Amino acid sequence: MSEAKVFKPRFNPAKPAFGLLVFLLYLFLLAPLLIVFVVSFAANQYLSFPPEGFTLKWYGMLPQEGTFMEGMKVSLIVAVIVTLIVLALGVPAALALDRFEFKAKAAVQSFFLSPLLIPSIVLALGMVLLFGPLKLTNTYAGIVIGHVAITIPFVIRTTLMSLATTDTSCEAAARILGAGSWTVFRRVTLPIIQPGVIAGGVIAFIVSFDEAVISLFVAESGLPTLPVQVLRYVENSADAAVAALSVILILISLAVVVVVERVMGLRKALR
Amino acid sequence: MTESKLSIVDLTKRYAAGLEPAVDRLNMEVEEGHLVALLGPSGCGKTTTLRMVAGLMDPTAGSIVVDGKEITHTPVNKRGMGMVFQSYALFPHMNVEQNVAFGLEMRQVPKAQQKARVAAALDMVQLGHLGKRQTKELSGGQQQRIALARALVVEPTLLLLDEPLSNLDAKLRETMRTEIRSIQQRTRATTLFVTHDQDEALDMADRIAVMNGGLIEQFGSPTEVYERPRTHFVANFIGQANFLDARVGAETGRANLAGESYYRVEVEGLGQFGAVGSAGLAGTTHELVIRPHRLGVSLAPGPGPAPLAGTIERVSYTGDALAVAVRVGEKLLQAQMPTISGDLPRVGDAAYLSWAPEDAYLLPAPGAVAERLAA
Repeated sequence: MSEAKVFKPRFNPAKPAFGLLVFLLYLFLLAPLLIVFVVSFAANQYLSFPPEGFTLKWYGMLPQEGTFMEGMKVSLIVAVIVTLIVLALGVPAALALDRFEFKAKAAVQSFFLSPLLIPSIVLALGMVLLFGPLKLTNTYAGIVIGHVAITIPFVIRTTLMSLATTDTSCEAAARILGAGSWTVFRRVTLPIIQPGVIAGGVIAFIVSFDEAVISLFVAESGLPTLPVQVLRYVENSADAAVAALSVILILISLAVVVVVERVMGLRKALR
Repeated sequence: MTESKLSIVDLTKRYAAGLEPAVDRLNMEVEEGHLVALLGPSGCGKTTTLRMVAGLMDPTAGSIVVDGKEITHTPVNKRGMGMVFQSYALFPHMNVEQNVAFGLEMRQVPKAQQKARVAAALDMVQLGHLGKRQTKELSGGQQQRIALARALVVEPTLLLLDEPLSNLDAKLRETMRTEIRSIQQRTRATTLFVTHDQDEALDMADRIAVMNGGLIEQFGSPTEVYERPRTHFVANFIGQANFLDARVGAETGRANLAGESYYRVEVEGLGQFGAVGSAGLAGTTHELVIRPHRLGVSLAPGPGPAPLAGTIERVSYTGDALAVAVRVGEKLLQAQMPTISGDLPRVGDAAYLSWAPEDAYLLPAPGAVAERLAA
């Protein structure tokens, strides 16, 4: 060829259009958070928008608001216990689902994932009816059982995802080298599926901490969790202390995710 | 007879009732220090056999005896074996040293001794300098060597290799073949080696068990299974072969000390030839095996005893050899000749085939074909 062809990048209108679309999507997702953030610093007397002046008094109110502190305590205790229990149940369940062939495997699998499909209000109603005679209403046990039920699908899903990509011959190799079943699990299987387990645990913690419907039905009067306290508070008063609390909660969730991401690589776990 | 290191007695594995067994009453004796290849096509039961010896799978029936002790129901972690997997199966969350040390740790070997043995094992596979590396950073060949070091460092009762080379590229495979063999000979580790690659088996093994449909078709040294295949399957699976149905005529003399005889045989459509086979075959029908490279090809009728005249139907040139398919009557015979500088034979050329009687071997076990002819 006599003429060398020079490739000129042409203006591609799809590129900025795509950028705009992504921006709008993020805006859509984050707008409520942004508004809560702004309102939490606003001097308005009631929860409203736009802000009229800047104040930190809502944040100052939080430590004095006993119901929030009490609710926070209950929610944290519940979330920690739920996370531990759900990992102790979900990881072995996922292992069994992945490694063994048994009758009704599909049924068991759908059973474990079913809480995701059932509206939580239905679950909550059922639990109240069941827990009443068992004297479990208004107890930690009642809330924990409810939360374990709705968080176990997450742990099983993330663990199964990790298991699907692992090479079972690693476990066989460890057994041949002399490791018993428990040692194989602790030294080989668990470290390999760790990202999925941790991701499941983090999600379970956040979901439990955030859960309102079941907590409301099961333990509204005796053992209100933080979301329940927030609901009650908004019913009675309409100031922006709730917004300030929300910002704190968002920051806590964010901190958990960031720490786990830094330490373990959550992104890898969720892929 | 010397005591075998490993005896497999009537070992059977049936995955489900009603299914054909994956391994069917398999018997095998392995001598101390030998490398035995389990060779066969996929689905022949070789991997199942290996996994049963390892303890990763329970046999349906039969027994496995190592050093005179029955281990059929010994749990896998108490068998003291070493295994190398096709996927290497290195622990991804441990570095090279930790991987190799794992078996020693399980045996509660003191730390200082662990260190020395790990170092020695890594030196043996020439990777002493990579101890602190993560396994992910290493090439396939290096990972394979780590896996070998990890299996050998515990001084296993048996070394089990499950297609260890099939994930490597062709060049590396040959290097690793030599290396595994030399390490195996140095350590005198009795080894079972599963492969579907006949070259690997011929090159590395002291004994080859050729498997088919859950059975051992033949167990013997590489030369035995190549030169004296017992069945059609063995002759066909190991190397290439021409098969001709032959009516065995009179015995014409003793061929060798192994008690084999020369025979006159008649092949329908080709004529009468000399062949060799085990004693007492006269008057029967058997399959005749001739390896392509033992078939002499000349492009002009030579002075020899009545060569077969045919026409070249296909020529394939691979650099160091020339494979030709020669049509003689209804038969198409595969032959191989060294390449020559100058004109290569072309399709349509006349070719003359001949062979020495000792290169035409009568398969002792009547194949399905012979049975059909006899009927």
